Amino acid sequence: MTVYQAAIAALYFGAASAAFAQSAPSTDASPPPLAARTMTMPAAAAPDMQAVLDQIAALGAKPIETLTPVKARLQPSAADGAKAVMRMKKMSTAPDPTVATMDIPYGADPMQFARIYKPANAPSNGPRPVIVYYHGGGWVIADVNTYDAAPRLLSKQLNAIVVSVEYRHAPEAKFPAQHDDAFAAYRWVLQNAAAWGGDPTKIALAGESAGGNLAVATAIYARDNNLTKPVHILSVYPIANSSMSLPSRMDSANAKPLNAAMLKWFGYYYTKTTADPMDPRLNLVGADLRGLPPTTIINAQIDPLRSDGETLAVAMKAAGDKVEQRTFPGVTHEFFGMGTVVRGAYDAEMYAIGRLNTAFSK
Amino acid sequence: MNRFVLLAAPAALLFAGSAFAQVMTPAEYVMTAGASDLFERESAKLVLETTYNPEVKMFATMMLTAHAQSTAEVKAAAMKSRVPAAAPMLTPLQTEMIAELTAVNGPDRDGVYIAQQKAAHGGALSVQQAYAMDGTAPALKSAASDIVPVVQHHIALLMKM
Repeated sequence: MTVYQAAIAALYFGAASAAFAQSAPSTDASPPPLAARTMTMPAAAAPDMQAVLDQIAALGAKPIETLTPVKARLQPSAADGAKAVMRMKKMSTAPDPTVATMDIPYGADPMQFARIYKPANAPSNGPRPVIVYYHGGGWVIADVNTYDAAPRLLSKQLNAIVVSVEYRHAPEAKFPAQHDDAFAAYRWVLQNAAAWGGDPTKIALAGESAGGNLAVATAIYARDNNLTKPVHILSVYPIANSSMSLPSRMDSANAKPLNAAMLKWFGYYYTKTTADPMDPRLNLVGADLRGLPPTTIINAQIDPLRSDGETLAVAMKAAGDKVEQRTFPGVTHEFFGMGTVVRGAYDAEMYAIGRLNTAFSK
Repeated sequence: MNRFVLLAAPAALLFAGSAFAQVMTPAEYVMTAGASDLFERESAKLVLETTYNPEVKMFATMMLTAHAQSTAEVKAAAMKSRVPAAAPMLTPLQTEMIAELTAVNGPDRDGVYIAQQKAAHGGALSVQQAYAMDGTAPALKSAASDIVPVVQHHIALLMKM
């Protein structure tokens, strides 16, 4: 059977790889052929992290890399796994009501809107600091709803206005649509922050995964267009390095909830050309990184994107930026925001909040 | 599963002459839409048992009607397209979401309901749009096209909640 599969795969590659290196712009476009799997076992997750991974599996998660985008978008997320653990521990899964939200469009496309988080009851001495936050999901799956935990927590703990930016998704809108939307949203926040009770001179950029990339790319955009410079960047397990031979691509090739095959799957749907992955907006380590604001990069040990964050920190330091990078042990991609049930996530959240607090206190 | 993908993908490329495999079959569409409608009706009933929020009450009442209508429409289209439509069943994720809704009361249940609705309607729109664009059974494709603006209207209402 294995030989047969290999033969079919070879036929597929031979017939189609040149023509179909990038997907059609349809959410029904077939997934790319599966590459041969490495057998490397990822490091063991801490028991509280493993409990979340077990719940994601129990919710019926199928391997994303075998699905079309429309089906992938229906799969349980890591956040769904964390909520299931919370329910089993008799904790409420209701969003913290002390933070109020409103959804406001920043563009004509239905996906071009932002969810604005604001502490509902906390008093404020003057305008609040502002965090522009970009969610993850490889630019193909997930949305502001999936990534509710981190922006809500940051708003509450920092008494800040958090603007969680939705953006057009691939493959309907391919790279650089997500970057264009991220940049447009940043400009929009600069213009409107004061009206929301925010301080437009105290803006930080933050994001997770694909959104961790957008946070750094937007800081570069702000520098290049003479926009108000963000006071800090919080980049959580960003997509930042297009090399496929990074250490984490190997040691965490079979990690959950993100594996190396999914990275390839995302790229197949979000790129338009084979040159796109080397664009400095995607391959951030190859970008001009000089003159960027102080930056915090957070990584998970068991994550194929771990080396992205680690190499980005090295590249930013070499460019003269002030960067702190930490890799948290025993946790996986998507752990950030799970602080109520995963100890490593709580630690990472406290670290991020401390760093942002320092940036806003200056 | 792997074997299925490897076999199905090249066949579709070679014989369909396009990069679109028939990835969501008519039966899959009927099953997915049915499950999503069932989840909508079950969760609306649950929140209506406890809510005092007039906005939530109005929205949940609308969901009961709208998602009974879309089920009827998809069922009729499935008959026309000769696609067997089994009784809809919640997915494991939808079952968990119902359990989370049941586990809380009062304003917490309103909060969980609104959050779930925002998430669920995003997925529903993605399914209806995909089938309206690439669906292979004409009657079902037309039903999906009719349902798209309804889901979009629900999303517009949710944006204000």
